[in-house]
This record gives sequence, C-alpha cells and structure tokens, in this order.
Amino acid sequence: MATLTRQDLNFGQVVADILCEFLEVAIHLILYVREVYPSGIFQKRKKYNVPVQMSCHPELNQYIQDTLHCVKPLIEKNEAEKVVVVIMDKEHHPVERFVFEISQPPLLSISSDTLLSHVEQLLRAVILKISVCDAVLDNNPPGCTFTVLVYTREAATRNMEKIQVIKDFPWIVADEQEVHMQGSRLIPLKTMTSDIVKMQLYVEERAQKAS
Amino acid sequence: GQSDRSPSSLGDRKVVLLPCRSAPSREKVQVWLQARKQFQHLQQERHFT
Repeated sequence: MATLTRQDLNFGQVVADILCEFLEVAIHLILYVREVYPSGIFQKRKKYNVPVQMSCHPELNQYIQDTLHCVKPLIEKNEAEKVVVVIMDKEHHPVERFVFEISQPPLLSISSDTLLSHVEQLLRAVILKISVCDAVLDNNPPGCTFTVLVYTREAATRNMEKIQVIKDFPWIVADEQEVHMQGSRLIPLKTMTSDIVKMQLYVEERAQKAS
Repeated sequence: GQSDRSPSSLGDRKVVLLPCRSAPSREKVQVWLQARKQFQHLQQERHFT
C-alpha cells in the first residue's frame, strides 16, 4: 500500500478530470429529468455503463462545458466545497438546488490495482439516483431556467481568473436571492466515498413551487 | 453594481460564484428544435423524391 500526496501523479488534475466529466453528465441528466428543456433535444448515450440523456443543442452544451472548464481549476486545488445546479422559476427565484458536496482526502492510499476501478461504480450509482429523482420531487412550474453555483473561498477565485478570460466566461459573486431558498425541504440522494473523492448529493426543494 | 460583485478582491471568506452569462432559454432551444425537425423532414422528403 503506497501513500501519495496531492502533488504526486497530478492527483488533483486526475480528480478534477473525473469529477468534471461526471458533473457534465449529471447536469445534462438533471436538465432532462426536471424538464428544464424540451425532451427532443436529448439523446440517449451510455456513460458509466448506464444509459443517460445528453443534450444535442450546441449552445447549451457549450454553456455547460464552459461552466465546468471554469470550475475545474478550483476542484483541481481542492477549493470547490460545493457545486450546485440551481433550477429557477420565471422570476429567477430558486425552486430546486441539486447540491454536490465535494471533499478530497489530503493523502491518497492506494494499492496498485484499485486507484480508479471503484470510482466509476460509485459515480454510476449517483447517476442512477439522479435519473429517478423525479419520483421524490414535485413538478416544477413552467418556464424554468438553470444556473450553476460554486461555493469556494475568496482567495481561491484567483485560480479561476485566467480561464475566465480565455473562455470569455466571467463569473460574479452571487446575490442572496440567487443562493437562498425560503421554506425548503432537503432530500438526500446519494453519498459516495472513494479513495480519491467523497461526494454527497442532495436536493433542496422549495415547499411552494407555484409562484 | 457589477464591480462590487467581482470575485477579484481577495480575502479568505467563503463566497458563492455564478456565471455572468445565462444558459439559453427554453424558448430559444424550442425554436432550434422546431427548425431542426423541419430540416430533417425536408431532407427525408428530398431523399424519397
């Protein structure tokens, strides 16, 4: 059993690659399951050995990719505490928040053959939970949109600055009304614990969704 | 104002960030989907004539 630090093997980069690829799949699936966009733009693909729905709308796909490109440097440095997919009503008030709470161990204990093999299996379980989450959530009002929030520390935003300029995709500090939901209930979806990352996924749902 | 919300003034308090740009609206995506269906329909017609 070898113990590696975050600096070895570009550990942070590997974790960021895995998590961003997962978050991309998860965001597409959330948008499909929660009917934020017409179902006609989604096509069935296979990810983590299970069928998922992915958008084929070029602008939406680019938006999701640009978002995650900007989040990636934070994950790489273990500075993204939460990534939240927020579904908002017509008045831009949150109705649902899919919260991905991420934590990475400072030390990595691995055996030669088990570094990543278990992770895919765990991510598959999270994807499967998202794909059936509509069973425990109320319908959303018509005309919803979405955004992605990242919880980090102010000093860590330096790591995002370069990529924001390269991608021409600037970020700002969220307003209170964009972050908080009054009278919400919390629905835990899945917790995963692996050698390289721990993740907890839960949904916060506004009690009264009709605006 | 926008400048007050810039994440570049550095301290170490917790912050929540979001993209300035909005995702494409449902209406915009719906228009694209309709146009795509019409295009595919025309292509099919052309194929059979």
